[in-house]
Formats: sequence, structure tokens, C-alpha cells
Amino acid sequence: MNIKSFDELNSLELDTLREIGSIGTGNAATALGQLLEQQVRITLPEVRIMGYNEAIDWIGGPEAVTAGVLVGMGGQMSGVMLSVQKLEFINLVLETMLGAPVKDYGELDELSKSTLIEVGNILISTFINALSGLSGISVNLTVPAFAVDMQGAILAVPMAMYGGTSDYLMTIGANFICDNQQVPCHLLLSPDVRSLNFLLAKLGVTE
Amino acid sequence: MNDKITVGIADMKMAKGSGILITYALGSCIGLCFQDPALHLGALLHVMLPMNMEAGRKNAFKYADTGIRETVRQMTSQGALKSRITVKIAGGAKMFEVKGGGLGNIGQRNIESVHTILRQEGIRLLAENVGGTVARTLLFDVASGQGCIKSYGRQDILF
Repeated sequence: MNIKSFDELNSLELDTLREIGSIGTGNAATALGQLLEQQVRITLPEVRIMGYNEAIDWIGGPEAVTAGVLVGMGGQMSGVMLSVQKLEFINLVLETMLGAPVKDYGELDELSKSTLIEVGNILISTFINALSGLSGISVNLTVPAFAVDMQGAILAVPMAMYGGTSDYLMTIGANFICDNQQVPCHLLLSPDVRSLNFLLAKLGVTE
Repeated sequence: MNDKITVGIADMKMAKGSGILITYALGSCIGLCFQDPALHLGALLHVMLPMNMEAGRKNAFKYADTGIRETVRQMTSQGALKSRITVKIAGGAKMFEVKGGGLGNIGQRNIESVHTILRQEGIRLLAENVGGTVARTLLFDVASGQGCIKSYGRQDILF
């Protein structure tokens, strides 16, 4: 049976999505580990279905500033994928790759921005590659876009995309652990409802 | 300082006499500050999308068209006169520049839809601060009708 809204998912379907999140984020962590030349592990992946205002509280309040890399999905699956990068994560990347950490988002220059975009792009592409390989769905990705702004507005992008069909936002993601330190970097997959049904059907969990 | 009343996404709050209404981090969403100056009655509406095409129509405040009409209806039921109601708007930014994606510009569509509905309803648009690429937090003082926009790394704008 096809679901009409994210809040109708049953526990088997949620488990399947959690597994997708686990494999996708695990692959992304391996890619990040190679980039940073250190071991990167992930926290327990989560699937969350949240109301809009709940989602914004969950990510840490609307006005907190963060960097976001966004990639649009097309082809057999549509939606967006976001890499929400907080300062701790940004500095981990910049310190290792450029040797130049920043104190504030305002100090990001062209080189550091393009580094962050590329890292975000690699994380997202790796995640999607894993999903694609697992389900046999072909997904096209757009060129990544980057913004530094209030995270409420960044999170509103996937919300606005599906606002016409759903009052909920679904996110699949986990945090990275580097050097025994938990580094918040949310990798959020937000497919639309139709693509979610297609994905679940391809994986054989919907009857 | 008065306690601020927070308006969430796809939400509307009203205050009479005095009060500060606030809505955080408007990206492509639009915040509308309605006021009937004679009654010091104000409302802040946070809409996310231009048009209500949802079958169930659970939340009127999610959309520009139904949101504006519902806000005006609730204000007039508090004694406001539709001809006296004025509005100031902010938001409608484009947060990400996605090339070759089918994302479209929701911010721009929101701005156009809000303009159209306000014109249809005959509500006077006093001021606007829309478009661009930065998120806005919007504060609205119900008594004075003063609006204030805060953005990351920029000076506050009074309007």
C-alpha cells in the first residue's frame, strides 16, 4: 500500500530507511576518513519524521547560523539532500585539508567555501551512490549549492519543496565521530513522498 | 521589555493593544505584519507556499492565499475594519542557487502570490523587504506598527 504522508510509515518501513541511512552514512564516513586521513565513525543513524517547528528545534533552534551544502536529486527519485555543517565540522575539515581553521562563519574565504562544498558534495554523492547500488534506482544529482545563514531558513528549503503534500519533514541521517570526538554534521536525505514509495517498493518492503 | 510572542512556520498569532510578535529565520517563506492602527490590533503570519492546492486543507496558514484570508477574517471578527488593515511583508529569499535543478524559486513565487492576494483582497501594502539571498528574522510591534528585520552579518532594518 502506498503511503500518502511521512507519518504513515510502519515500523518495518522505518527500519528499512534506518538501514539505508546506516549504509549511506557509513559509506560517507569512509569517504570522509580518506579525505581527512583519519578514522571516522558514525553515531547510530536516525530516521525522523517531524513537524516543521519540531524539526527546527531538533537541529538547534532557528536563528543559529550554520553552513549548508544542498544537492537536488532527479531521475528516478526526486528530493534534496543537505549536508548541515557546524563550525566544529568546518574546522575539522579546514584544519586538516588547508591548515587554516576559522573562528567564525564570516571568515570563510573562497578557497575554504569551495573546500566545504566539495566535501559536502563527496559526502552526499557517496550516500546516494550507496542508496542507488542497494535499490537499483538511478539518481541524478545537481551541482551542489552552498549557503551560510540561519539554519531555520536552510531547513525550510526541503520543507517548502514538499509543503504542498505533507506537513512533515522526513530526515535520514547521523553524526560523525572523528578522533573519539563527536562532530555534528547532519547528512539529511529528504525524498518526496512519491520517491519514498518507489524506494520502499524497490527494496521490497511494501506489499 | 515585553515578552515576545513567537510565531512558528505556517502559523499566525494576534495581539491587541501592545506586544511584540516575532518569527524566526524566514528563508523563502514570507512574514506578513497585519495591523489595524485604530484598534492597535496586529497579527503576524508566516506562510511557506504560494497557493493552497492541498485536498485536506488542514493548515490554512501554510499558504499565502488561505493564510491571508484567514488572518483577515480573524482580525475582522475582533472588530478590525478590512479597509483599515495595512500590511508589511518580508522574506521570499532564495537560499540556494541550484543550477540545473527543478527546485524553482519558491521565494519569488511566494512574493508574487502575496502581492496578488493582497490586491484581490484590497489590503494596503505599506512596506516590503523581499527577495535577495539572506534569511530574515522579523519582529513586529503591534502598538506602533513598527517592523524590524534581523539578518546574519547585517545591520537591523526598521520598516
